[in-house]
Amino acid sequence: MPSSLLAATVAAHGENRPHRIALHFNDQAVTYGRLNELTGSLRAHLARLNLPAGSTVCVPAYKNPQTIALLLAVFHEGHIALAPSPDLGSAALERLAHQARVSHLLTAADDGALTALPVRAEESEAEGFAVPNAERTRLLLTTSGSTGTPKIVPIETAGFDAFADWAVDEFALTSDETALSYAPLNFDLALLDVWTFLRLGSSVVLVEQQRATDAAHLAALVSRHDVTFVQGVPMMYRLLLEGGGTFAAVRHAIFTGDRMPDDLLRRVPPAFPRAAFHNVFGCTETNDSFIHRVDPTAVDGPMPIGRPIRGTDALVVDGEGARLDAAGTGELLVSTPFQTSGYLRQDLNDAVFTHLDGRVFYRTGDIVTRTAEGLYFLEGRADWHVKVRGVRTNLQEVENVIAAHPDVAEAVVVPLPDPQVGVRLHAHVTQRPGTDLTSLRLRTHLGRQLPRHAIPASVYLTAAPLPRTSTGKPDRNLIKQNLIKGSDA
Amino acid sequence: MSTTTIAAEVRAYIVDQFLAGEDVSDLTGDYDLLDSGVIDSLGLVKMLGHLTSVYRIPVDDIDFGPDDFRTIDSIVAMIADHRPAAAA
Repeated sequence: MPSSLLAATVAAHGENRPHRIALHFNDQAVTYGRLNELTGSLRAHLARLNLPAGSTVCVPAYKNPQTIALLLAVFHEGHIALAPSPDLGSAALERLAHQARVSHLLTAADDGALTALPVRAEESEAEGFAVPNAERTRLLLTTSGSTGTPKIVPIETAGFDAFADWAVDEFALTSDETALSYAPLNFDLALLDVWTFLRLGSSVVLVEQQRATDAAHLAALVSRHDVTFVQGVPMMYRLLLEGGGTFAAVRHAIFTGDRMPDDLLRRVPPAFPRAAFHNVFGCTETNDSFIHRVDPTAVDGPMPIGRPIRGTDALVVDGEGARLDAAGTGELLVSTPFQTSGYLRQDLNDAVFTHLDGRVFYRTGDIVTRTAEGLYFLEGRADWHVKVRGVRTNLQEVENVIAAHPDVAEAVVVPLPDPQVGVRLHAHVTQRPGTDLTSLRLRTHLGRQLPRHAIPASVYLTAAPLPRTSTGKPDRNLIKQNLIKGSDA
Repeated sequence: MSTTTIAAEVRAYIVDQFLAGEDVSDLTGDYDLLDSGVIDSLGLVKMLGHLTSVYRIPVDDIDFGPDDFRTIDSIVAMIADHRPAAAA
């Protein structure tokens, strides 16, 4: 992937078509020629650090041209980039850097100057973590990480190349495309909407993180740049419709990250008169695994996630782990040509990567139903995950971070339906007697440990014990139902 | 409107919009609203709308950074810097 091959291909575009625009960012248009210059300048800075070949560096994934150039420079120089969310709390960022044995924290200024902060090695924190191999990977992404420590996922170079080949073929992409990059640069979605299009020599419109919820701005970007390819969570489509206009240049519109609500789906086609609509399903560990061609004018019942994409094997297993050969409901296991060879943290791998029939399958934790026709529907999660703004978030992990505060006795986090964003998190927290915790102090604690999407939108703090079910477990449903009814629990 | 009045109004707006029902006795002017998740990206859009309608801040002409919204103090300072002179 993100590989030296990708970097060389992008550099070749800079030589052959220097005036072609690679990136639109705010009011700037960065040509492939300029992207080469930026990358070259960063390579020179990087070379002066005299890093051993195959070193791992940390590049917080700010969404801007200089960060993309910096990642290309790292790939060129034969190093590996750990690219976490730039919003990650400082404690979590430091832990990740130690686990990946990062030598420097790198950021690029918009004039191409490099800031390199050495990171002190903490061998004790890296214990049990594999050393990433630059022969096989140049990019380390992380899972959404609702905990303080997201899981580090090496993106295989060969896997990225296979993925980009698939996407180019599936959507008949050419160098004339202009793609909208809506998701943050550290999401696996960027493997398609940024890196695949740069490999092709197409243009990419970067939506700046701070303005990602500005409907008018977003709609203007898609119209003004004649965007041909959009990919995003349902909220992105809601914002585009709210922003107004007709996006006549769009050839492909990809729904991903979350279930597309019916009311929204019905309103989409008039705004994209020439687009084909696809639902695409995947995760960081495997990249995309399912695709479904959607006809929004003929919506009838829930939208399936579709069928396995070419080269992907899918299995459904029941509660006892037995494989279902026919129609049925169970946990989804997938094996894609694009998947990671495993988390850096070795002890996590046995539980989720399984050898079957000579292939390695990833246990998705998703419950699906397969019909007799071989169509798959997503039913929910086998564990504690919910999607907050398209980001998979583990409720139990958020609860653990809250409970780790010394003044907290116990905590429950529940997802609540939200008309604007789909789901928001609510925390119900029992504080220890005699402590003077406030919700603001608790938020400060959470801000240091969690990415922002995982910080509950509302916090209810009480001295009373949590409501319990008859079996003595915290009654999450009661807490949730009371809130939905509007009477605070 | 004095800076104190603006600070009180901004604080009241934040409490009403983002912290309804929570104990805000320690919501001081220097409390970090962004890192604590009180104001998220949708919250920023709401805040901008509020600044436009209440203080007539010409938001389209100003190059805001997240730090302008980090604390009540920084929001108040930004309002003071960018209010149209006639409305002061």
